[in-house]
Amino acid sequence: MNPVIRPRSLFIALSLLLALALWLSLALGPVSLPLLDTLKAALRLLGWAQAGDELVQAELILGQIRLPRTLLGLLVGAVLALCGVAMQGLFRNPLADPGLIGVSSGAALGASIAIVGGAALGGLPEAFAPYLLSLCAFVGGLGVTALVYRLGRRDGETNVATMLLAGIALTALAGAAIGLFTYLADDATLRTLTFWNLGSLNGASYARLWPLLLITAAVALWLPRRAKALNALLLGESEARHLGFAVERIKAELVFCTALGVGAAVAAAGMIGFIGLVVPHLVRLLVGPDHRVLLPASALAGASLLLLADLAARLVLAPAELPIGIVTALIGAPFFLYLLLRGRT
Amino acid sequence: MKRLSSLLALSASLLSCSWLMAAEPLPQRWISSGGSLSEWVVALGGESRLVGVDSTSQHPESLRALPSIGYQRQLAAEGMLTLRPDILIGSEEMGPPPVLAQLRGAGVRVEMLSSKADLSSLQASLQRIGTLLGEPQRADQAFAAYQQRLQQQADWLVTAQRQQAAPGVLLLLGHAGGSPMAGGKDTSADWLIERAGGRNLASHSGFKALSTEALLALDPEVVIIADRSLSGDAAREALLQQNPALAATRAARNQRLLMLDPTLLVGGLGPRLPDGLAALSAAFYPASQPLVAEAKPTP
Repeated sequence: MNPVIRPRSLFIALSLLLALALWLSLALGPVSLPLLDTLKAALRLLGWAQAGDELVQAELILGQIRLPRTLLGLLVGAVLALCGVAMQGLFRNPLADPGLIGVSSGAALGASIAIVGGAALGGLPEAFAPYLLSLCAFVGGLGVTALVYRLGRRDGETNVATMLLAGIALTALAGAAIGLFTYLADDATLRTLTFWNLGSLNGASYARLWPLLLITAAVALWLPRRAKALNALLLGESEARHLGFAVERIKAELVFCTALGVGAAVAAAGMIGFIGLVVPHLVRLLVGPDHRVLLPASALAGASLLLLADLAARLVLAPAELPIGIVTALIGAPFFLYLLLRGRT
Repeated sequence: MKRLSSLLALSASLLSCSWLMAAEPLPQRWISSGGSLSEWVVALGGESRLVGVDSTSQHPESLRALPSIGYQRQLAAEGMLTLRPDILIGSEEMGPPPVLAQLRGAGVRVEMLSSKADLSSLQASLQRIGTLLGEPQRADQAFAAYQQRLQQQADWLVTAQRQQAAPGVLLLLGHAGGSPMAGGKDTSADWLIERAGGRNLASHSGFKALSTEALLALDPEVVIIADRSLSGDAAREALLQQNPALAATRAARNQRLLMLDPTLLVGGLGPRLPDGLAALSAAFYPASQPLVAEAKPTP
């Protein structure tokens, strides 16, 4: 695979793309704000007083609706793409995605427990209820991943192939449990569950951004430090070991990072497919498999892609909106097919 | 004397204050979320003020022409703001909460009304809608009439049951005849069957698929079909075609497969409910004179 573009130019292009996506995400929405009002409202948000009553509305839409939503999209997109790179590196397979180690199905299981069980319990404390779903999804993702990792270990070594199969088995098991909860759910909870499975950046607020921000920052700082080890892993585990990398430790770190990052993203925005699979793939096609470039570039591309997908999600059906999982899958699946077919010739 | 005049002035200012409160402008641009609430807004004369409804508001037909704000549990703040609403009314299912907070922040009045299937909740909701529309008397009248109709229904049932025992009933909710689910305990279906004077044969809770054998074993006298995509004879035929065993039940042999609009099963007590109940009752008790002339049993 020969790089199509040099890393430096790719970074410039992706930074510009992300800046454009950020700008569009802040400037466009169902409510059409004049460009000047958006700019003035932004100044007001930054503390510069600007006169004008119409600006109050603009400031509110920008500050309370679009900005938290944009930040959420940025973080979720970046962390999903980063974890996708980590998984494809760990399994040495471009088809790997974070779902393989059970984090997605675990989170879905946690969410269905929260949605169906929470509805059945009824009387949760007011303050706790809004966070129950996110918390259960996060814990579920982490729990199932820990189990998959544990099952893949034998004699102090992690067998990646065993882990992959254990992931498949536990995903099936979680699927059965989710099916049971679906069966027990009533109409309203069933719809909530379905919508959660399609993901959405709707209703983002600053209070919910903090945990995700911390985790994304940790993952984004940590993974690039393991870029060389990931490069060595591409040669094979024993080769990496001979090159002097603590392979077992690296594997554990990668699994933990992914569980943490994807768990937090899913807890904040529901299931959003294809970003973790397609984005690393795309970037690899452009610059080749060097993880020192691949990791940061994927983060930039993942954030841009998710923001643009969200833009479509909120504009297409306005005043209603489309779950973002539909948009990412609509873009991701045909693109993936294209990659497959292109490789054949 | 001076003290008296100041007292007078004070009371006058207090009075004018309460006048101002009363003259607070009524919300003119409404968004309604929740099927039966939207129906009530229309029934109380507020249709011209509606600028948007959610996806469950399908009655009356004219509401479908309004902009849709999507599913009531997944509302989007900015999308709704494009409709420049003064007020959003909805049931307790409306959400998610952060979006409602964003709307409140944007100066939209958010009124959460109860959609529980009991008369006191309905009364409170109707009074609230009436006040907000500036038609409190109309709301009171509507509630009194509604209560009276349900009372008539209950009285009629007592008389009817003297002549005939309550029939065993199953309500099947399906989609174009396929995979029908029977409404069990603690569902709106159960409530409806009981109010119409039937005995719900399904003993599970919630809506669950019944096996063919279980269906035959229960052998319902009456089957109510609530089909989400077909209506009338088409729904009946589709159900029989896809579930041939149903034809062997008493209900089918005696041609007592009734049709029900599935929207009556969601969203609490709507304005169309008394008619629906009366039609079901008339079919449950064919020997009695129907309560409403037009509510003839559908054969």
